[in-house]
Amino acid sequence: MAKKILVIDDDPDLVEATSMILKSRHYDVIAAYGGVEGLEKAKSENPDLIVLDVMMPDKDGYTLCKELKADPALNAIPVLLLTAVVSHISTTRYSHQMGMETEADDYMDKPVDPAELAKRIEVLLSRQ
Amino acid sequence: MPEPVTKIMVIDDEEIMRYGCTRILSKNGWPVITAENGEAGLAKLQKSPKEIDIILLDLMMPGIGGMEVLEKIQALSDIPLVIVITGYATVASAVEAMKKGAYDFIAKPFTPDQLRIVVKRAHERRALQKEAEFLRSERERSLRDVATEKSRVNTIINCMGDGILVCDRDRCIVLANPAAGLMLSIPESQLLGHHVSQGHLPPELSNTIEESLKAEGTVYTSVSQELIIGESQETFLRAHTAPVRNDLGEIMGSVTVLQDISYLKELDKMKSEFIAMVAHELRAPIATVEQQLTVILGGMAGNLNEKQEQLIARASERTRGVLTLIKDLLDLSKIEAGKMVQYKEPLNLADVIVRVVDMMKPDAQAKHIEIDFLPPAAVPVIQADRSSMEGIFTNLISNAVKYTLDGGRVTINLDDNDGFVRVCVADTGIGIKSDDLPRIFDKFYRVKSSETRRIVGTGLGLSIVKSIVDAHMGTISVESTEGKGTTFSILLPKATALASCEENTQ
Repeated sequence: MAKKILVIDDDPDLVEATSMILKSRHYDVIAAYGGVEGLEKAKSENPDLIVLDVMMPDKDGYTLCKELKADPALNAIPVLLLTAVVSHISTTRYSHQMGMETEADDYMDKPVDPAELAKRIEVLLSRQ
Repeated sequence: MPEPVTKIMVIDDEEIMRYGCTRILSKNGWPVITAENGEAGLAKLQKSPKEIDIILLDLMMPGIGGMEVLEKIQALSDIPLVIVITGYATVASAVEAMKKGAYDFIAKPFTPDQLRIVVKRAHERRALQKEAEFLRSERERSLRDVATEKSRVNTIINCMGDGILVCDRDRCIVLANPAAGLMLSIPESQLLGHHVSQGHLPPELSNTIEESLKAEGTVYTSVSQELIIGESQETFLRAHTAPVRNDLGEIMGSVTVLQDISYLKELDKMKSEFIAMVAHELRAPIATVEQQLTVILGGMAGNLNEKQEQLIARASERTRGVLTLIKDLLDLSKIEAGKMVQYKEPLNLADVIVRVVDMMKPDAQAKHIEIDFLPPAAVPVIQADRSSMEGIFTNLISNAVKYTLDGGRVTINLDDNDGFVRVCVADTGIGIKSDDLPRIFDKFYRVKSSETRRIVGTGLGLSIVKSIVDAHMGTISVESTEGKGTTFSILLPKATALASCEENTQ
């Protein structure tokens, strides 16, 4: 049975592109277009993994990630954070630090390389 | 001095005397006027004071007598020389006249020669008096000029918008204009006459002044520094301090000029914030476009024909170029806003470089370029921001790889250099033209040639490197030979050297 991935991003175009990458790798994809909606769907859809954008107007990715990890029913779901604020020079440490602080399981800079994204997701899912 | 012309007045009631004297004296070229009695003479004196130099005064006259006229003359501000004419050769009246201030006397009757001798002597005396008077007024005037000049310079200094501080060689503040006091928020009374270290000056500034007074050699040295005044950092000052030397090259003191650069700082901050805002706003949509292109290129939206694939691949290359530019701009504005190097920690540069070299290996191997880095056994620790340091060496080593032809070599050296850690990144690449060398650290400057046209870059990399090095109180230099290669050398202060330096400025 195909694994279910929840993609949370306020940019519908990006949600579409990410979904297409995941669908091409035969994952089931559910989309949420904001932090609040994302949390609801995480609860109702019981996804196997969450791809989460950092910059969202209603509730940002860091906050949402904290809430997910604080919820005993949800904290086992791996979270992959998609960052856009992280800049070139500090990629290695700064983003890592951010990822750690938010307890995300992994992080990637947008735009993502489709193959790299697939690889990271596979690793996260295999940890289960 | 002016040619002395001696004017003579003859005061005598006898017309023959007035006439005779006028004739005799006029022959000598002296202008003569006459008065027929004391009242007339005094009236003429009062009408045109300072005109008459010598008076021939008859003592025996009707109306006011000669003695009385003499007394009145002595009361004038400019006293002419008076020669009294005594009618009956009475020595007593001559002596009395002399006591009352007459210069000389002549007894009637006298010969023309006797008159000339007496008047000539008076004339010479008068000339000397005039010369002395002239010299005295000259001296007074030049003193007055000096005083005016001094007060003019004072006025200029006091009205200047820039602050001025002058110290003598005993480190005592001998001049401070109101602007200096205002800028430093120190009352003038606490500046003037105080030792620089006790004058409530910012310690960085008093250190600089003390150093400038110790400077040796006759070379002109001016130290420029930025000062932050006030707890909340509201005022930024730029201070230029230079020693003042005498003709022998000895230091006499120092002059510091202070300029308020707060508005420049404010502008700079606004500029950085603006760039950051624009970059952020641009980044999200372009990242989305790039993501969409990768999906199409990956065939996830259906198969592409060859031409379509080619076009989309190029479009993707362009959007990635723009994304890199935005990242660089964000980095630069962060560094300039002082936000980039906030996390300084003790750092072993060898570890940082090893990691960067590992990251660069795939790119280098693709071009058959060898990267040599042999970390020395002991590396002094520096105090630095790790990610910034990674940024520096990623930039320099990736540049070295980019601008080196296939089969070349990149060599990295790390050594201990007298209080500094020195890192040299040398390549065997295409080199940089000497015309381009001075500008390679400028923002958006890219060397344009047929060899570099195909290399992707934003022209911001090296200015980012330089900004980071500056923020760590280091220096960067470059040497290059066209066609042979380029070497970048970076000096970063050791943690220990930095600590003692910062202690000094506290």
